[in-house]
Amino acid sequence: MASRRSFISKGLGVAVLGGTLPSFLRTAAFAQPLPALGSSVDPDNVLLVIQMGGGNDGLNTIVPYSDDAYHRVRPVIGIPEQSVIKIDDRIGLNPVMTGLDDLYKDGNVAIVQAVGYPNPNRSHFEATQIWETASPENPVSSGWLGRYLDRTVSPRDAADPNHIFTAVALGDTVPTALIAQHVDVPAIGALNAFAYNAGRDASSKTTAGVLYDGAKPGQSPYLSLLETTARNALHGGDELRAKIASYKPAVTYPKDAFSQQLQLAAQIVASRVGTRIIFVSIGSFDTHAGQRAQQDRLLGYLSQGLRAFYTDLAAHGLADNVLAMTFSEFGRRVQQNASNGTDHGTAMPLFIVGGKVKGGVYGQHPSLTDLDRNGDLKYALDFRAAYATVLARWLGHDPSGIIAGTYDTVAFI
Amino acid sequence: MVNVPVPERYESPHMKLDTSTDPQVGFRPPGELDLAAALARYDGPFTRRDAAHLLRRAGFGSTASEVDTWASFGMNGAVDALLHPAQPDVAFDDYPDSTALFDPKTRNITAQMWWLDRMLRTQHPLVEKMTLFWHGHFATSYRKVPANLMVQQIDLFRDQALGHFGQLLLAVSKDPAMLVWLDNRYNNKAHPNENYAREVMELFALGLGNYTEDDVKNAARAFTGWTLDKNQSFIFRPNQHDDDPKTFLGRTGNFDGADIVSIIISQPIHQRFICRKLLEFFVYSDPEPELVDALASTYALSGGDIAKTVGTILRSNVFYSPRAYRALPKSPIEFVIGTLRFMNVRKVPKDTVAWLQRMGQEPLAPPSVKGWDGGPTWINTGTLLARFNYVNRVVKASPPAAPAGAMSAAPAVDLDTYAAFTPDDVVRQAGGMDSDRVLEAIVRDAIQDDLTSDVRETMRDYLDSKNATLPTPLGPENYQDKIRGALALVLNLPSNQLN
Repeated sequence: MASRRSFISKGLGVAVLGGTLPSFLRTAAFAQPLPALGSSVDPDNVLLVIQMGGGNDGLNTIVPYSDDAYHRVRPVIGIPEQSVIKIDDRIGLNPVMTGLDDLYKDGNVAIVQAVGYPNPNRSHFEATQIWETASPENPVSSGWLGRYLDRTVSPRDAADPNHIFTAVALGDTVPTALIAQHVDVPAIGALNAFAYNAGRDASSKTTAGVLYDGAKPGQSPYLSLLETTARNALHGGDELRAKIASYKPAVTYPKDAFSQQLQLAAQIVASRVGTRIIFVSIGSFDTHAGQRAQQDRLLGYLSQGLRAFYTDLAAHGLADNVLAMTFSEFGRRVQQNASNGTDHGTAMPLFIVGGKVKGGVYGQHPSLTDLDRNGDLKYALDFRAAYATVLARWLGHDPSGIIAGTYDTVAFI
Repeated sequence: MVNVPVPERYESPHMKLDTSTDPQVGFRPPGELDLAAALARYDGPFTRRDAAHLLRRAGFGSTASEVDTWASFGMNGAVDALLHPAQPDVAFDDYPDSTALFDPKTRNITAQMWWLDRMLRTQHPLVEKMTLFWHGHFATSYRKVPANLMVQQIDLFRDQALGHFGQLLLAVSKDPAMLVWLDNRYNNKAHPNENYAREVMELFALGLGNYTEDDVKNAARAFTGWTLDKNQSFIFRPNQHDDDPKTFLGRTGNFDGADIVSIIISQPIHQRFICRKLLEFFVYSDPEPELVDALASTYALSGGDIAKTVGTILRSNVFYSPRAYRALPKSPIEFVIGTLRFMNVRKVPKDTVAWLQRMGQEPLAPPSVKGWDGGPTWINTGTLLARFNYVNRVVKASPPAAPAGAMSAAPAVDLDTYAAFTPDDVVRQAGGMDSDRVLEAIVRDAIQDDLTSDVRETMRDYLDSKNATLPTPLGPENYQDKIRGALALVLNLPSNQLN
């Protein structure tokens, strides 16, 4: 992927936004017309959504090192200019993010600045719901990716054990983002846990399969749902394990839990079980106290994990097929608090990573002096515009009906 | 509080129940409702199956011998005992430590285990079941509310579980956890916060579409000054309260929050709203509008008396009809506590909350202000595997054998977290180790014989088969493993996923 990458990152010098462009160009470059849907989109494209749970501090992720205001409001936890990994003459990456920097230099990382939405919510729970349902105005129970699944997976496929991995949540629970009406998303903590487990009693599983296959539909309207789901549950895990058996990682992934989950993600992509969406979480970024140690450790996992993941995918010829997008429920306050941490804030940057990403910085770094009425960062891009872009340009699906409202897409794909 | 004029029946023509977002729509059982008889008192025979059905719906399931006991009470006796328990409940104060629960430093897991223990051991199962119903109805989560306030709220639900809805709604409006959860603590004259005012109508009492945005604004003004003091207790602050006249649901007056509550509960649409929810919890999904209306009349006549309304359901023909039998999927909490109760486990195993998470119903943590959607949303591949594996874990676990040297310093095993119902009990009930009779005992005790002949055949093969792991037919050398295995399989049958 490297040669095509370097071409793109050079070729996009104008469209990609840095701090030096006049503001009319910055605004204009956010907006792009929708492509003809489905026409140019590879049906094997996979979206990897990475939740940075707890509220990631954007100012110590993408550091505005040349801004005096930054060092003024963060006398202790501010990152000094000499340690920042510089992106341009104003901003740079947190020093631990060497892995992501490698991907950035290859033109495979888009940094989307100051993402948020009107009237930001500061409750972890409510803000997470907002990001995952993409419905800040009124609570809905389906997730934005769940609505995508409902529109793209036929009810017949939804009931077929061979199609149950269209979307996969890595971890113990299915996040709200993947809650759909008729598509069941498996939560896979570890490959071995997504299995019927009866210890030494191997015949128990065989028998359970027969019992569910042979059960006659009775009076309850729930019986057929139970039978279909049980069949998928009992056979799906075996299917996946069988297909994954041949996968060999091309790199050694770091030992942390997040990087290990990324390895499982790479396994799932490589085993070609029809997966379009994978959801994974890392956290907690809720750094109210002693922020530097905690956030740096996690950003290190994120960054080194992603480098291993994309190196592995590239070795399998799949780096162009996976687009990773991060999000967090909110950024944090501008000012450090009395415990050398930061409290709940508003806008934050997103990372978009992948072989087909048009690398660069999109949008301006949020001002540390021109703040909203609560003294927080103003957002420049509605998160639903990023979602709409991913739906239209990566998954090839019209965002309307999934995301309420109309948003210009962003040029990162 | 001003005097609210005697309610004239106020209902604008467009008021109706909006069921468009209810995932249970489409899961109504087949067959016709006999409306004339539906809520009349059931006077047919009260069998073991009926008693088990009642104990699952109005409680959290039971051991097989409890089913026999309750069956002997007769239908009326059993429902009376559930509604009006004669004896005080068992003592719970020993676990984990009642004062620690109300400490602001209480951990979420402590509060969760405290409540699960209540559900497991209570002898007042309907009271605890209604407590769970109100938790789902007034869905509040530890993700925004400190655990000690969650405990206080659950205690409120338990105290008023079978009381009057109006009193409960008023108490909830002053409940510290709710004041935090829906932000009414920040609702004051200068900066009204509409969060509680909206949800009290949309989610708690009327349903979407049965009020206007102006009603929300005016209700919010009426709740201004209902807040918390520095000890996290309810306080009314008159200087933050908006004293000007408000117009709400067609009436005008200098209303406060209590007036808003009385006006809301006087709406006929409220009666249908709450009765539909009770029918979906106790009887079946997507109940017929005529059945909802019939129950709403009972509820209205009783003056909002929950015990009378629930009593009507539990004594009704429709409740004991084949259409209602095994018609609802068990919620994860019903499934887990039901498994523990059936297996006679006396103490909730520590990892149960983690299992409930995987099954999609972590107590004290409903996914949103709407609570759990229930119905078909309980069933997906991940949640079903979690149910299977939890049963396998609980049923197949036997306490480790005592170490040979009695003075060994091995860590103490808490025998109460293991099933007290053992394969030996099954053999005793079966009157021997004959596989047919063992199977009969298991399916009678565990699922009241609710299985097809195919399933019986497959189960008999399991007990008698020659397979790699348990290669010999049921016999003295393998009956422990075989019977535990068969019990687990039966508890994982489709019928046991249904209530």
